Amino acid sequence: MDDLQQFLAAYQTTIGFVGLNAMLALSVWLTLYTGQLTLGNAAFAGIAAYSSALLTMKAGFPFPLALASGALLAALVSVPLGATVFRLRGVYLAIATLAFGEVVRVAILAIPLTGRGQGLVGIPPKTEVWHIFASLAVVAIACERLRRSNLGRAAAAIREDEIAAASHGIPVRRFKLAAFVLGALIAGWAGGLAAHFDFAIQPDEFGFARAVQILVFAVVGGIPNVLGPILGALLFTALPAVLQPLQEYRDIFQGAILVLVIVFLPRGLATLLELRRTIRLRRVGAQDVA
Amino acid sequence: MEKRSKRILGIVGALAIALAACGGTTGTSGASGSPQGSAAKPDVKVGVVISLTGVGNVYGPTQKNGVELAAQRINDAGGVNGAKMVLVIDDDQSTTDGGVTAFRKQTSQDRVVAILGPTLSNTAVAAHPVAQSAQTPVIAISNTGDGIVGKCTYGKCDYIFRASLGESTAIPATVNIAKTKLNVKSVVLMYAQDDKFSSDGFAIFQKALATAGITVKKEIAFSKTDVDLSAQVTAALAESPDAIIDSSLAGPAILVLKEVNRRKPGMLVIGGNGFNTPAIITSAGAAAEGAVSGAAWYLGNPDPINKEFVAAYKAKYNVDPDQFAAQAYSGLYILLDALKRTPTVTSVLHDKLRDQIELTTGVKTPLGEFSFNASHDVNQKVYVVQIKNGAFTPLN
Amino acid sequence: MADQIYNAIFIGSIYALFALGFTLVFSVLDILNLAHPALFTLGAFTALFAMQQGMPAAAAVIVAFVVCGIAGVLLDRIAFAPLRRRNAPPLSAMISSIGVSLIVIRLIQLKYGPDLQAYPAGTLPAAVFPIGGLLVDTLRSVIIGLAVVLMLALTYLVRRTQLGRELRALAENPRAARILGIDVERAIAATFFLSAGLGGVAGVLYGFATNSPFSQMGLAFELKAFAVMIVGGMGSIPGAVLGAYLLSFGEIASLAFLPSELRDAFAFGLLFVVLLVRPTGILGQRAVDRV
Repeated sequence: MDDLQQFLAAYQTTIGFVGLNAMLALSVWLTLYTGQLTLGNAAFAGIAAYSSALLTMKAGFPFPLALASGALLAALVSVPLGATVFRLRGVYLAIATLAFGEVVRVAILAIPLTGRGQGLVGIPPKTEVWHIFASLAVVAIACERLRRSNLGRAAAAIREDEIAAASHGIPVRRFKLAAFVLGALIAGWAGGLAAHFDFAIQPDEFGFARAVQILVFAVVGGIPNVLGPILGALLFTALPAVLQPLQEYRDIFQGAILVLVIVFLPRGLATLLELRRTIRLRRVGAQDVA
Repeated sequence: MEKRSKRILGIVGALAIALAACGGTTGTSGASGSPQGSAAKPDVKVGVVISLTGVGNVYGPTQKNGVELAAQRINDAGGVNGAKMVLVIDDDQSTTDGGVTAFRKQTSQDRVVAILGPTLSNTAVAAHPVAQSAQTPVIAISNTGDGIVGKCTYGKCDYIFRASLGESTAIPATVNIAKTKLNVKSVVLMYAQDDKFSSDGFAIFQKALATAGITVKKEIAFSKTDVDLSAQVTAALAESPDAIIDSSLAGPAILVLKEVNRRKPGMLVIGGNGFNTPAIITSAGAAAEGAVSGAAWYLGNPDPINKEFVAAYKAKYNVDPDQFAAQAYSGLYILLDALKRTPTVTSVLHDKLRDQIELTTGVKTPLGEFSFNASHDVNQKVYVVQIKNGAFTPLN
Repeated sequence: MADQIYNAIFIGSIYALFALGFTLVFSVLDILNLAHPALFTLGAFTALFAMQQGMPAAAAVIVAFVVCGIAGVLLDRIAFAPLRRRNAPPLSAMISSIGVSLIVIRLIQLKYGPDLQAYPAGTLPAAVFPIGGLLVDTLRSVIIGLAVVLMLALTYLVRRTQLGRELRALAENPRAARILGIDVERAIAATFFLSAGLGGVAGVLYGFATNSPFSQMGLAFELKAFAVMIVGGMGSIPGAVLGAYLLSFGEIASLAFLPSELRDAFAFGLLFVVLLVRPTGILGQRAVDRV
């Protein structure tokens, strides 16, 4: 037991980040589920991270209130953004959200309050691992419930074919915007938790590389259900720790695993869970098994 | 479907954690060539956390060389009062969570007596508090930013020491030499704004220049990933300063040097620690001539301890050492000195080791004679160097 | 002022070469090949390797083109073709390319280390000569010339050759292309060869200009490439060229009236506005949205 305790103490950060990344992956999953490819959630996490940290550090806000404020701010910012970009499809939307993310990053670098390029240090470490996993559980259960409901079916319809969905009376624009804003809210909550987990934050942590990383979690995990992004986040957050003995060659193995997983399971790890059904459908010749 | 999914998730999760547990005991790099005879004394485990991957991995590998060379020579000379010194080297991946994870692992799992590192100041502000609360002494061997020792931004940090010359010491010394020996009265201050090291340096330059009474004609910010700095350099040269100061890492510095050389050869360029790497000379070539910076070490230092170090390094690795290797090497010797004075080196030593580190004085290292000051910061000579004929030569 | 323009032309040429390769793959296959920056880097290091063996710079550029071209074809075989066979969504291809990028860059790092490298001394032209008030250097002028030649060559290839026709057909409608008897796999291989080759050459040329190739050098260009493609028009070759020069001139001009801290915000803010007002970019003819 002592060994296990030691292990948990040593890997506390990694375990915590599995949870945080899972939440971020779910935030992207939400938007992907309605057919929107967004690279902006890292920036939303960043907005919430900085604002919640500044609130606890400078304004003496109690931790939960700061978290909520940060997440709400991120969600608020996402509304005008979502409303203006919802017309864009596919890769255009991705690049627009990416551009937004870069503007946020530059803004952080220019505003003295955020510590600019030096980052924000001395953030009170209020986040405990159980906070992260409790939040994750709530978010995951809520998302899964949504997915199974009529709302979820409507969202899937939008993803498949927007025009058909619209002609069926589904308010496409409202759904897409709702998914976008909800995604920003979740990403913001995760961002606030992350800021109070590691004593310090830097603008780089919420940039393009991070946005791509959480997209990878979501896509490699798979869209069918909420387990997908969680699995994706678990695999790729734990992977560097697991591959530590390989030290020099770790990145190569990570890259190789990424390619292998996506090539053999292009719709994500979650499809493994549906394996039996998939094999049966493939056998009868179904081309496009989601 | 639901239940099965849950079960599979559970298995996968347990597997991941189990694998991570097995992967937990990482590459311990022991020193070679010591006789196994003296197995009476238990090994002394020293942790080293450096950036072997990620953006900081430009510095990590030479730091690794430095500590491994030092450990080897230490063990060949009898180790820590007869006990073998064993290094536990971990990669912090140049990220805050990578650093925190490595520090947590080394303090709670490996139970090292002290930790050298991490490589980047960014990582340090997150990782050092971990060692502080675990009461494990830390010697920072390459952090040059503010708030690392003494008055730390995260609170109490009496277990943290720094052996790498802080920019807040090096830069004022550089500025002074610029004023007194090079007659600099006005400058343009360029800096990479999105990189902690560079923006820290920028703030320190601002203060030092104000203290020295040197006019800053313009401040020009750029991005560390900018692929071309010609516009910025042109704007700087348009102000006709006596010198251009560039607070950045080596990559942008090379661009600045080349651009300045193209437009106004002979214009003095001054930099911070980012200039203290041989890559500047090899990549910028003739354009690097005349560049001035403040360093903790330079290759050609005729001090016998340094010559010994350079020769040993070259023999083992077939290449000249750089400042990072020198500081890492020195860091381990400084730790060794304190360990030798600590009564019983059996297991984790906490305050006993810390107290001895505080008393460090007159340790002979490639950096010169070394001691810690009252704020646990480094006491050493600042070498203000200028690149002449393709080598760093001292100005002071 | 004159040398600001000269610099803008120089860096715009690099942007253009980089973006052309990127755009080519996107327009023919709808894939955002995020391994392109790695191929850019591979080009610079292939040339480094060749020159360390004694090869002159000019030959090294050609070697880099060929080696990267082949690498591009391999990239497709390993990372994209299997996904095509499985009818995978285009997003999977993008993810796959990320994995390959990790591998390629790490391999380069293992061989050369992560630090800045330099081409062997004396192999690159260093002459600088003034023309009027302008300081022109041989190296950058050659680079600009070479880049322009390559852009013209590519345009010719796409407009006037059989291969070009096949690529355009493929870009327009893959199924129809197949029905028309076009060997789709061969056309795709050609696309990747050209795309990667151009990216590699861009890398060598940029590496020569800075004389400091390093394993992460492609990253900075990745974001610029997005900006170039959007402004010039996704999937349009002349658009990529136009976008590249607009970006490089814009970056330099913005320094004149914006505080230097906000320069990047200007670029991306502008990008954002373009996306809202005219998402197809200036020359983009592909008004078809991809879902």
